[in-house]
Formats: sequence, structure tokens, C-alpha cells
Amino acid sequence: MMAGEMRKSALMAVDEINHSDEFDFTFTPHLRDPGGVVAGYHTACADLIRDEHVGHIVGCYTSASRKQVIPIVERTERLLWHPARYEGFESSDNVIYVGAAPNQHVVPLVRHMLDRISTDVFCIGSNYIWTWEMNRVIREIVTSAGGRILAERLLELGETAVDHIVKEVIDRKPPVVFNTLVGESSYAFMRALHVAATRAGLSVPMLSCSLCEPELKLIGSAASVGCVTSSAYFESIEGAENRSFVARWKARHGADSSLSVDGQSTYVCVMLLARAIRRAGSADVGAVRRAAANHRYDSPQGPVWVDPDNNHCFLTPRLALSAPGCQFKIFWEADAPERPDPYLSNLDLTTIGTRPEKSNDTMTKRSTHLRIVK
Amino acid sequence: MNKPSPFSVRGRRVLMVMRDEREISIVRRQLSRLGMTISEHDPAEPPPPNQAVDVILMDADAIPIKSDQAALWKGNVPIIALIGTETPSRLKWLLDLQPASFLVKPLRSAGLYTALVVAFDSAQRRVDDAAHIEKLEDRIRSRRVVFSAVLQIMRGHDMSETDAFALIRQTAMRHRTTIEVLSAEIIAAGGMPNRTTRTA
Repeated sequence: MMAGEMRKSALMAVDEINHSDEFDFTFTPHLRDPGGVVAGYHTACADLIRDEHVGHIVGCYTSASRKQVIPIVERTERLLWHPARYEGFESSDNVIYVGAAPNQHVVPLVRHMLDRISTDVFCIGSNYIWTWEMNRVIREIVTSAGGRILAERLLELGETAVDHIVKEVIDRKPPVVFNTLVGESSYAFMRALHVAATRAGLSVPMLSCSLCEPELKLIGSAASVGCVTSSAYFESIEGAENRSFVARWKARHGADSSLSVDGQSTYVCVMLLARAIRRAGSADVGAVRRAAANHRYDSPQGPVWVDPDNNHCFLTPRLALSAPGCQFKIFWEADAPERPDPYLSNLDLTTIGTRPEKSNDTMTKRSTHLRIVK
Repeated sequence: MNKPSPFSVRGRRVLMVMRDEREISIVRRQLSRLGMTISEHDPAEPPPPNQAVDVILMDADAIPIKSDQAALWKGNVPIIALIGTETPSRLKWLLDLQPASFLVKPLRSAGLYTALVVAFDSAQRRVDDAAHIEKLEDRIRSRRVVFSAVLQIMRGHDMSETDAFALIRQTAMRHRTTIEVLSAEIIAAGGMPNRTTRTA
């Protein structure tokens, strides 16, 4: 599903650029769909460069596909504009990382959990790199704050037999569940847990750093409610840029359609690319990379710019609660766009979970609200 | 037995546990140039029971971290890890396997020979170190025996500790044996054994 959302957003950005007076050039999109077959990304990318002579490639959702593409873009000196959040620990000169780095997605969420919900957590995720690394970060932060990992349960990718884990959650009643499942596994788990918890008269708070609006619809309106989600983008972000963006999206894809963080991020990729080309006066990769550095773009998700130190983006982390109507209610956002830290080199564990609570701002009030909701 | 030089890789047997066809063809070509005997194994499968190979080339990204079979790869055959993902969770798993050397993906023909030489060398050093440690541990274990032998000589010959130990050491040297072996004989014989012949 995400691939389709990302393609729609990329093409929308291309159309807007091609019809805009602000740009004195147009983009010609060349589409390839390896359909999630990992080896296909290398082939598709090689074709694009050899046959279509493209200089810039937008895409890749999974880390496995990105790792396939990186050798080619490095060898041929092209740029991959990568929209998806990921687990970090990478920094290629030939990739512009527009999705959130771990300090911008998982860290704020764990911080919130420790401050406002619980220091003990039950982890469930899909058996691949995203969960392994998220669980490692969660464990590191939680244990340093004196908390405990109550369980670490893994499901194979695509697995929807979740009853044994739902039963365990209901039996053990953990104070919070950290969900790093992806796709159908996550939807199945959230539906089944909702049914079982309702029957048992329980309310189990859930955390995610990947849930997005179209997924809320897939999960279903009842079961999708109440998940604390960390993301740089929610459709419900206030502000003229985003309202206009959402309106244009819905005019194009229907009033029933929903934006997602990955779709929006793909749009941002194309816009960052166009603005860098305009600034550079050329589509040359080296010139575009230099022009993109520190060039602020007021995007739907707020100000975004590329940090030339690591080619990741300054983004504003946000936390929201999934609400009825398949939308997110944002209850916290960082004061300013946060510097990307793909290697978590600046993560100071001594300041997490032990710092004095803020008392002056709306966060406290909203968190109280959060407690009521859970 | 002469130790094989880490630089001579011809004829040694390598097991490729890899997934990516492109990488496999790069590695296979280079290993053939080096004259190595190649076998392949599907990373999704559990390790073969008899690893009659000299070195394993393993795509670290191809084997799930949280799987029972990951631990089964631990063994005496040196592992060269092919690394794509540098997340600490993956690297921690890798450290548990004690790779003898590594290569960073994307692979190319250069670097493979170095990785093999380093792997063979570090595997040999590991064997040597293990033997050395075992010797030291033996010596520590036999300290009690030596101490008992010194006490026995002190009592039997009315000697000081220094003189008793010097006597045992000199006797051991004369018989071309170790202090530990002679000490065991002293305890068994209840005194300094009458040895007229050399002990091997």
C-alpha cells in the first residue's frame, strides 16, 4: 500500500512543479515498480540510469531495497531521495534521507512513554531489521532509566496469526505495548487486541512509530483508536501549507483519501529536489547536493532542510493519538526542527527518564488528557 | 605438523552462505581465481551438520537475528561476515558469532583476498592462543601439586622452602621434565624419586 501512496504523492509534486511559474524547468517522471522484490530494485535502478539517463531517483520504502540501490547510485554518482523513516546507522553521500532518523521518531516516543505512561513495556514487532533496531534502542533507553522490557515478541513478516500474543498481553496486562509490527501483522494484532481487551474490560495503551492515516482505515475505526504515534507528519497538522496541501491532495485523489507520512515525505523529496535544482541552476548531482544543503523548505510538515553533515533532514518530531474518524490528534511537537542524528551519537541516556518534568507548558495538561483517554 | 600459511588459499574449501545472485557471482569468480574449492548453502536453511570447510563467507544480512539457527553457525570454522547493515542490533549478533574478518557490501573483487588472509591468520592465532591458555591453566591447576611437593621435600629433608623448590627445579631440569610432572611424582613416591634415566 505504501508504494502506491508514495507514487501518487511524487506524481502530484511533479505536476505541481511542471505547472508552476516558480520553476523554469519540468520533470519527466520515469516509473519503475519492483513490487517489493528486493533484487528487483537494483535492476530497476540500473535500468533507469542506463536507459533513461536519470540523475535523481525518488523512492524505496524498505531498508532492504535502499541497500540494493545505494551501490549503483554511489558508483554512477546519482542521488537517491529516500522518503521513508528508517532505523538509522547509514549515511551515504549519494542518498538524501528525507524520512525521520531514529532521534526524530523512536526517541521522542520512548521519552514520552517513560515520562508519562510507564517505565515497563511489552514489545511486539515484525522479525526484521526495523524491529530489531527499535527494540535495541527502546531497551537501551528503558533500562538506563530503570525500567524493564517485559517481553519481546516477534512475528514473521506478513504473519497474521496473533492470538497467542494477544492472549499473553491480556493475561499479563502490561502497562504499555510498543508495537513495531508492520503491515497486515500490525492490523491483525490491533484488531484482535481491541476485541480481546474490550471483552476483558481492559485498556492497554499502545505505542507506534510507523502508524499512518490510511492504515487507521485498514485497521477499522474502533480498533485503530488510542495508539500513541510518533511521526514527523500527520494529516491533521495545522498551518496554511498543510491545509492547502491536504486540499490539493483530496481534490486529486478524492475526499475519502488520506495522506500518510510517507506520501507527504515523497512529495517533500520531489520539492526539495526541484528547489535544489533551481538554486543550483543545474540538475548536476554535485551542484544539487550542495544547493540542497541548509536550503529551507516550508513544507506541509513545516520547515525541512538537509543537514550537509549527514544528508539527513532537519524535521519536527510530533506525537499524536489516533482518534475516531481515522485521524490523529497531535498532542506534542518539538519546539523547532530537530537536527538528524542517524547514529544516535548525541543520545544522552543520563537525561532521559530522570529529568525534572516540565510543568509550565501545555504538554502536562495534554498528557493528563492522554491518561484519561487510555 | 606445519601450520599452513594464511597467504596460501589455493585448495582451501570455502562455504558461501549468501543470498544475492549478483554478490554470489562476484565472489565465486574471485574465489575461482584464487583456486579455492567452493560450495554454497542457502542462508534460509539451518547450517549443514558437517561443515567440512576451511572458511565460511556469510551474508550477515541474510540470516534473521532472532532465529534458533543463527547460534548454530558458531563453531571452529572461521567466518567472514559480509556486512550491509551497520545497526548495533545486527553488529551485536555478529560479534556473538566471532567473525574472523569481514567485508563491507557492496562487494567487489578487491578486498576478498585480504579478508581471507586475515580470517585464516586470526583463526590460527585463535587456535594458538587457546593452546597457550590451556597450558597456563594446567600450570595454575598444578600449583597445588607443586606446593605439596615442596612441603614434602621441606619435611623429608629438613629444608627451607627456597631450598626445597630449588632442589625440585634442578632435579626437573636434570631429568628434562617439568616441575609440575616431577612434583606429581614426588607426591606419588612420598619423596624424591630415584631417577636414573631421562624422562621424556
